[in-house]
Formats: sequence, structure tokens, C-alpha cells
Amino acid sequence: MSSTTSSPAFSIAPTLLPPPRTLPPTSAVYAALLRADLTTQWRNRRASLMVILLPAIILVSWKGLIERVGGPFVLANCITIGLNAIGLMGYSNSIARDREKEIFQRLRVAPAPNWTIMASRLTVQLIMIAILTIVIFVVGYQYDHISLNISGYVAGFLMAIVGGAVYLALGQMIVGRLKNPETVNATSRLVYIAFIMIGMFGELGMLGDFIDKAVKYSPYGTVKSIVSGALTPGAWTAQTTIALLVTLGYTAVFAFLGIRWFKWSNK
Amino acid sequence: MNTLSNTPVLRVEGLNVNYGAFHAVRDVSFEVQPGEIFGLLGPNGAGKTSTLSAVEGLIRPFTGAIHVAGYDIRHQPLYARACMGVQLQATSFQPELTLVEILRLYGGLYGVNLTDSQLNTILRDIKLEDHAGKRYGQLSGGQQQRVSLVIATIHDPRLVLMDEPTTGLDPQSRRQLWERIETMRDKGHGILLTTHSMEEAEAVCDRIAIIDHGQIITIDSPQAIIDDNRNRPEVIRASRKGKITLEDVFIGLTGADVRA
Repeated sequence: MSSTTSSPAFSIAPTLLPPPRTLPPTSAVYAALLRADLTTQWRNRRASLMVILLPAIILVSWKGLIERVGGPFVLANCITIGLNAIGLMGYSNSIARDREKEIFQRLRVAPAPNWTIMASRLTVQLIMIAILTIVIFVVGYQYDHISLNISGYVAGFLMAIVGGAVYLALGQMIVGRLKNPETVNATSRLVYIAFIMIGMFGELGMLGDFIDKAVKYSPYGTVKSIVSGALTPGAWTAQTTIALLVTLGYTAVFAFLGIRWFKWSNK
Repeated sequence: MNTLSNTPVLRVEGLNVNYGAFHAVRDVSFEVQPGEIFGLLGPNGAGKTSTLSAVEGLIRPFTGAIHVAGYDIRHQPLYARACMGVQLQATSFQPELTLVEILRLYGGLYGVNLTDSQLNTILRDIKLEDHAGKRYGQLSGGQQQRVSLVIATIHDPRLVLMDEPTTGLDPQSRRQLWERIETMRDKGHGILLTTHSMEEAEAVCDRIAIIDHGQIITIDSPQAIIDDNRNRPEVIRASRKGKITLEDVFIGLTGADVRA
């Protein structure tokens, strides 16, 4: 739509006719899309597994750190790394690939509202976030013996979803700004690695005070902070509330730009 | 579908499409009637795909009106799309999904609940019953084209849009595709297609519009277009076999230079 100039569009007043009987309900359209997207995700399960595997490996390998930095800190770090991978590597790359193959254009010429196409994709990613969080909780409990109270698990789960939205929005911004799927792939990897490396080492104080502060207010730091704060609800501070507000701000800005820049076709 | 049974399945009026400063489609108007195969012919970059994209609602025209089976594509886009079936230039389905899954997906999008027996009938009809569980990405080009066509008509639309449907097909598949298109016409579907094959357009299309530099330069039945232009010097110059064909008229009217 954005490839053409705007008004004055359509000079002749429309003659509205009664709706055809064949127009399906939006819920049925959404269900059909979701079924197909979940099937596609399942067929690409090896890639999905990799997204979950890396934070699980980090969780296992950081067992020795738990006494020093605490279980919630380690869990929050691993969840944040996984959320990064889902939003940046999984979501943005799948959107870039399907756009390149004109799959979206084929869907858009069917009587499916545009928002249902994206809502279905986002639902799949939310399911991935839920699976990731549960896997981290289970591995943390089974292998690292990290035990939280039920409110910690619930709040942590909810904050993982809030945090996941930042990276999905960031992925949307990357795929909105860049057209070529290979460029999207390279950029999302670069951003992912930058977040992980600078975020992890910076927060441990290995890169100096300035980087430590910068990381705290980066999408990595704020998400890690709210997930960590939620896992131990008693330790939620004003600083964590600020991190939550910054997280929501990042999400709003990235999503706004991502939606504004996004084009359904590469042509 | 609607109360106006004698409505053209497609009416395009004064269509203009701009890409920034580039005027891709200029004041294009035409109609497609039920039971008609209408060909949109033109050199590369002439404005065929832009016209088709505007009809599909994929791009927003600068000015003009488009009605599909009476429904305004801008004000009632979902209703208009429910009345049209589309075969895009690219074979654009999820490669990980099987044939049956793709049929079920598009059945769901068009509000068509397909039973197992209906699915089998469809697959048998396109001679792919043995490939039901095969992923779309594993099918040959001709098989993908057949799937694409069957999905374009899965909801029995009044208008079928086809963008260069025979590109990349072997002669057998091409012949079979034209037979299917003619069958659709016989059933009363209106068909709007673009093609680079003048021979096929001459043989199959009921009416043709030749478009160049975004404008329709002639619109009529293939034979009438040939008859009206056979004495033009540029058409005679383009003729190589003595007998004037649609291709000669096309080259005569649009020029012999290869377009980028």
C-alpha cells in the first residue's frame, strides 16, 4: 500500500452491497492461519530447539555461579537470552523469508484481515516464549535446584511475556527497515550477539562502570531486571518499576517504527 | 452473491497507479463479464501487474474505482476478495505445509469447510491424489501451478485473476492449464489474465487489452484487433510469415525494442 502516493484515492462513491454469504468469521480465519503457522513452526522444530537449547546450556553451565549471584539472577539471564533469540532470530527471519517468497501477498488476497496474519505469527512466538520460560524453570529446578515460590514463577512467566514483546518489536523493526532476508539475518544475529555479549559481561562488571550503566537501561538490562525482580516478588524495587516502564517504552517505540516501516512485499 | 446478477464480475474505471513520481498505470478502464476470458497483454513494465495488484487490493491506486462482482475493493475489500480467486506470478505457499494442509488453510480463509472426501476429489481432479502428504516445496513447478489454480477456485469465485499462469510450464502442463481455464469460463467464471504468449492469448481469450506505458492502446476480441490493425505499416513490418498474427499486431503497436 505504501508504494503509491496517497489521496485522492477513488473518485467514485462506492455502492455498498449486502455482504456475500461466503465471508468467513474472523475467528475461523484466525484459527486457519494459526493452525498453519503452528504446523510450520513444528516442521522447523530443529531451529526452534536451538533457540531453547542455548539458554538451557548456559543455565547448566552457570551452576557454579548460583551461590554467588543467586538463582533468580541466573534464571532471568537465561530467559532474557532465549527471549532475544526468539524475537531477533526466530521471528524476524521467518517474517523476512515469507515476505521474500510472497507468502504474505498470497494470504492478503484472501478475505483475511491483515491484522489476523500478523496476530497468528505473534501468537506462535508467544507460545515459544511460554515454552522457553517453562523449560528454563524446569531445568533450573531439576539440575540447578533453583526453587521459587509459586508467585515468583507466575510473575516471572508474565514478565517473560512482557520482556519477549520488546524483542519481537525489535525484530519487527529490523524486518520493517530491511528488505533482504540475508541482511535481516545478518543484522539480527549481530544485534543478538551484541546484546548477549555486552549484556552478560557488562552486567557482571567486566566491562567497566559506563558499560554497566548502559547495559542496565538497554533492552537486555531492563528485561533481565524485570524478569529477575518478578522471580522474587519481595525484592521488586522502584528501580525494577523504572525498568518495567523503560521496557514498555522500548516496546512501544520499536513496535511503532516496525509497523510504520513494514512492507508486505519486497517488490 | 449479490443482487445484481448482470453486474460485470470486474469493473475498472479511470485507474491511475503511481510509484512516487513514476506513473505506472494511466487512466485504465475495462470490464470483465461473467463467462469471459479477458487477457491483459503488454511488454515488461507496461503496467499489467500493477493493474492486477490494484484489482487484488495489494496496492492503493492514486485515482479510479474498482468493483469486483459489484463490491468496491477499497470500501468492501474483504467482500470483494471473497468474490475473487487469485493465482499470483510467484508460487507463494508455505513450503513446509503439505498439499492437504494448504487446501485446508485456504479453505478456512475462504469459509469453505472441506471434508476428507472433498479433499480427495480435488486432489484426484488435479492428479495429485498420491501427493496429498507431500510438502508444497517438494512439488514440481507444474504440480505447484495446479495447486495454485485449484486454490484460486476453491471457493467458486466469480472472478479469477491469473498473472502469467503458464510461465515455466512444459507444453503438456500448459495445454492442461488452458483446458482448465476454458472449463472455468464455461462454468461462468470471469477470468482476467496476463500472459506473454500471444499465440495462447489469440486462441483462448475472448477479449484482449494491449497495455503499454501504463495506458490501454487497444481493447477488443483478438480477431477484431488483428483486423483493425492489419494494414498499419508498423504491423506489416513486424509480420514475418505473411499472415498477420496477434503477435505481429502487438509488436507493431508496442514496438520491437526489448524492454528492461
